[in-house]
Amino acid sequence: MKEVMLDCLGEACPIPLVKAENKLKELEIGDMLIVQIDHSCAMKNVPEWARKEGYNVEVEEVDDGEWEVIIEKTK
Amino acid sequence: MAREKVVENYDVIIIGGGPAGLSAAIYAGRARLKTLLLEKALVGGLATYTNEIANYPGFPDAPKGEAITNLMKEQAKNMGVNFKLTAVSSVQLKGEEKVVETFRNKYIGKVVIIATGGRPRTTGGENEEEFLFDKGISFCATCDAAGNTDKHVVVIGSGDAAIEEGMFLTKFAKKVTVSVMHDEGIMDCNEIAKEAALANPKMEFIWNSVVKRFEGDEHLSRVVLKNVKTGDEIPVDCDNCFEFIGYLPNTEIFEGQLPLTRQRYITVNEKKETGIEGVFAIGDVTDKWLKQIATAVGDGAIAGTAAERYIAEKEIFDHKIMQCEKPGLIYVYNAIDAESRNFLSEIEAIEESNKGKIAVNRIDTYKSNGLALKLELDQVPAIVITKDGKVTDKIYDLDSSLISAKL
Repeated sequence: MKEVMLDCLGEACPIPLVKAENKLKELEIGDMLIVQIDHSCAMKNVPEWARKEGYNVEVEEVDDGEWEVIIEKTK
Repeated sequence: MAREKVVENYDVIIIGGGPAGLSAAIYAGRARLKTLLLEKALVGGLATYTNEIANYPGFPDAPKGEAITNLMKEQAKNMGVNFKLTAVSSVQLKGEEKVVETFRNKYIGKVVIIATGGRPRTTGGENEEEFLFDKGISFCATCDAAGNTDKHVVVIGSGDAAIEEGMFLTKFAKKVTVSVMHDEGIMDCNEIAKEAALANPKMEFIWNSVVKRFEGDEHLSRVVLKNVKTGDEIPVDCDNCFEFIGYLPNTEIFEGQLPLTRQRYITVNEKKETGIEGVFAIGDVTDKWLKQIATAVGDGAIAGTAAERYIAEKEIFDHKIMQCEKPGLIYVYNAIDAESRNFLSEIEAIEESNKGKIAVNRIDTYKSNGLALKLELDQVPAIVITKDGKVTDKIYDLDSSLISAKL
């Protein structure tokens, strides 16, 4: 089980989602992907997409307008 | 291998961080209740999907929805509200301890306020699923407009959201084609938006049409519409498609626990109470006439206040009124009714003559009838006698000797 950080700071939609999708493909079951974002638009699609895929998702607001979307690859 | 869930206790747990949930949080936080707000994605809810909010009082410059909800969030944080950004996986609403679970935590609350709102309805057209998220179908012009500079987009729907957001898209896109279900000239939006849209040279309308299917390789490249009258297919080549055809309530996790309407909205009364004690519902998830930020924050104010009242009354009811140390006498009266007010002196006399032997409580229903409701009285004034914390008698005659005999 490893944790992978994905820096999407400064990136607008749909780039964070595309990056997260691609990165997650490389990971093994049980791994955690932490997507760092600061465009609120990505907060509307990255968590929802990941949950729809069936992964566990939790978000930390690390600062005002800056988030870490934590995705656990469960399958 | 399931992890042990971390358990946390709260007075109030609010599910959903849109304007309704945020307003409830501000009221609950201000009442010094230990409050948790759970939001699955971005705090601000559906309001953050709107680029200009022109009718929310106090904001004359028509800011973005997010600008308004960020201020609400800041205000709630100042009131000491805890925020947790995660989805709720299950709830157990019955009983005194209400349980709200996420994948890592178990939250126990005295009160649960449901503010889960709605999610955009989809057209149900063929291949729709394949193009959701970043593949060409969007529900948020504010989020994705900039990416459509000089592109051709299709908008589905003719309500306020469809037309207003469609017009916003014309600032970026070279052409916006709107698919409207109705006959030519008939739209569901307000008249001002309709006039402006019809006059907008970048907007084109395809009347009497609905979505038949979506086409494209990796990304959407064509929306095939269908004329509802003739059945003819109308292929529209485009870069992206925006759907604005209403919302579905997020009530799946409450199915079987709460009474829902046929359309799956939660039914509430004037105090935003649901069918379960200590569970309130507010905002777009409830069966209501007007779904606006202004009405959502009103709902939140009611639920936040009702939650505070509920917790306070429950505390008094369980520990003071239904005490089990001594036999109890509860006088339920209405302070504006002279007869029942005058009888207070008789109650005082009974208390005096039984000094130290009985516990006397007075409940004025003029201030709040919550406690009287809990006692399930047929009428007020009334005298309730308890023994060992249980009701043994309800007396509706204001007769001192009768009361003394029952003690």
